[in-house]
Amino acid sequence: MNQTKGWEWELKPHKKWFQLELSEIKNYSGLLQSFIRRELIAGYQQTVMGVFWLVLQPLFTTLFYVLVFSRIVKVSTDGTPPLLFYMSGSIIWSFFSDCLSSCMYCFIHNAHIFNKVYFPRIIAPLSMVSTHAVRFFIQFLFFVLIYLYYFICGTVHPSLYLLFLPFTLILVAALALGIGLILSIFMAKYRDIEQIMNFVLRFLMFVTPVVYPASIIPKTYQMWFWLNPLTPLIETFRSAFFSTPIFNTSYIFISIITVVAILFIALVVFKRNEIKVMDTL
Amino acid sequence: MSEKVIQAENISKYYQLGVIGSGTLKKDMQKWWSESVLHRNQPNTEQDANSKHHIWALRDINFEINKGESIGFVGKNGSGKSTLLKIISRIILPTTGAIRGNGRVASLLEVGTGFHPELSGRENIILNGQILGMKKSEVIQKFDEIVDFSGVERFIDTPVKRYSSGMYVRLAFAVAAHLNTDILIVDEVLAVGDAEFQKKCLGKMKEVSKEDGKTILFVSHNLQAVRNLCNRAIYLENGQLIGNGKPDAIISDYLTKEKVEALEQEYENSNSAPGNQFIRIKSVRLIPQYVNELNIIDIRTPMLFQFECWNLDNQIKNDRLSVSIELYSLTGECIFKVMSPVIDVQQGIISGSVHIPGNFLNNGYYYISISFLDKKGTSIFDFPASVAVDIADYRENASSFDNWIGAIRPQFEVNLDFIKYNLESA
Repeated sequence: MNQTKGWEWELKPHKKWFQLELSEIKNYSGLLQSFIRRELIAGYQQTVMGVFWLVLQPLFTTLFYVLVFSRIVKVSTDGTPPLLFYMSGSIIWSFFSDCLSSCMYCFIHNAHIFNKVYFPRIIAPLSMVSTHAVRFFIQFLFFVLIYLYYFICGTVHPSLYLLFLPFTLILVAALALGIGLILSIFMAKYRDIEQIMNFVLRFLMFVTPVVYPASIIPKTYQMWFWLNPLTPLIETFRSAFFSTPIFNTSYIFISIITVVAILFIALVVFKRNEIKVMDTL
Repeated sequence: MSEKVIQAENISKYYQLGVIGSGTLKKDMQKWWSESVLHRNQPNTEQDANSKHHIWALRDINFEINKGESIGFVGKNGSGKSTLLKIISRIILPTTGAIRGNGRVASLLEVGTGFHPELSGRENIILNGQILGMKKSEVIQKFDEIVDFSGVERFIDTPVKRYSSGMYVRLAFAVAAHLNTDILIVDEVLAVGDAEFQKKCLGKMKEVSKEDGKTILFVSHNLQAVRNLCNRAIYLENGQLIGNGKPDAIISDYLTKEKVEALEQEYENSNSAPGNQFIRIKSVRLIPQYVNELNIIDIRTPMLFQFECWNLDNQIKNDRLSVSIELYSLTGECIFKVMSPVIDVQQGIISGSVHIPGNFLNNGYYYISISFLDKKGTSIFDFPASVAVDIADYRENASSFDNWIGAIRPQFEVNLDFIKYNLESA
């Protein structure tokens, strides 16, 4: 029955575990670029403000946080200017949650395309993450602009963690992609995930130091708090710009291992099921 | 022997019917446990298949396709044609079996997949081409050809949401027609667009398969197209492959099985009947006047073709209308065309009939189409293939049963004389 020889491709009811075919992504890199382009162009057509929405959104969110958490609730920001503090938290968080939710809906939103053409399905979530990365980058530049003002005034100064910055952001994206890929597979069949995630994402935002610094967490909860892989990533980002001390650097390594493990599992699960889920979509 | 490009081995596809919802989680866990952990294959599928909640969309399909072939898939709706094409296109997985192939596959299960309404025609051509599996450089290289084929040059920088549906389809098909892949899968996309554009598309496909040696897999209800384009046809019925061979043989086999429904069509509701705002078909009927005891339509059988239709238009009172009735052979050649006189009509029911004598048509498959023409002779509504009929051969004291050639088979009297003449006595 071994007739596989002499054929370029073979399709069978079940895929082997760990058959990631990552090299396929390279063949479709052109499509990936076009998808990113499409998202970026189409997203702001027929809007008066256009790309300015990209910076206005985090700006409004930040101002809102400043008003609520800094002025009304009076949460500490570890001596960092509240505007910078909340902005850093909000742009990273929205990067993470946007990536996660768009990956999660990958099969549902692309059902019409997936039902008609084949290409490695991973291209769709990858394009979403890349699109959000571009958006994040623009927001980040805006953040740097405001940061420079405070820097010149002498209120803040950066630390050596700045060198890890790109790495930190890649990890945030990888974590969102990993969780998103796993959820997308389940979501194709069980729409309950959507309802659960509505709640989980909100919960996650409040157990991650987005609107408060990690230092205000009571000692007894510190360990659990830092095991959240996002916590060390956001804290590293802040430490890079504001030189705030990091509780314990070993948590950064735990975070890296967690992210890599989640991403690997996600790729295996996704690749094995990417075609199979079409029957239940 | 020519090179094989696709091999399907025992392909089956199994679908769960009904709502996927509560209770599926538990079942899925059990299934996952036995399949992936205990490595038991296909638990209960045989037993499940008998239940009303499951259906085999395809069952043990085997075939091979050689390089450069054009294969037409025929079969009724729901016979599994599209499921099979989806499996070959890697969109869904088979439940059992394996499919192997050589070369890049592009599937055209729909035109304009991934078209984004906000993007311009130019950007959509590139995006769509890439979704269909072309490289960006390939699309750019063929860009002018594509735009030319589509005939929408003027609007190429306008977002496609402002396109008319015809322009949209033209542009989408133009991209598809210029796909440069080894295997092209086309599913019923020609059902869109006007007749001339369809012809252009078919021509393009023929060109691609003949000149570039591409392999084409083609699903269509347009048997004419299958016959013209394909060198082989595969006939599916209820998910099973029941015919694989020359298109002529397969198509007449297909029509033989479908013929029961083809002798008449009747519609009760003038809103849903075939037609348009002017004319709706009420009924079409071919009534054979059997001459034999077996009630088989053979070449001797006279037939009466009757039709009734609603004339819905009350705007053009006392308008004049005529009807043209054409009889086509299976190969699409018009055997004859007859015209009714022009009559005055108002809103109401128009009926008519034409008598086709026996001993006139040759054996084979025929279909009749009706066109309604206004006073200027322009067509208001065409109803192609209204009825179809299989005329059996009949020969008295036949000595051979080879195919009787000729478009028609009239029984003109042929005279034959003989004069005895002795050559040697001269």
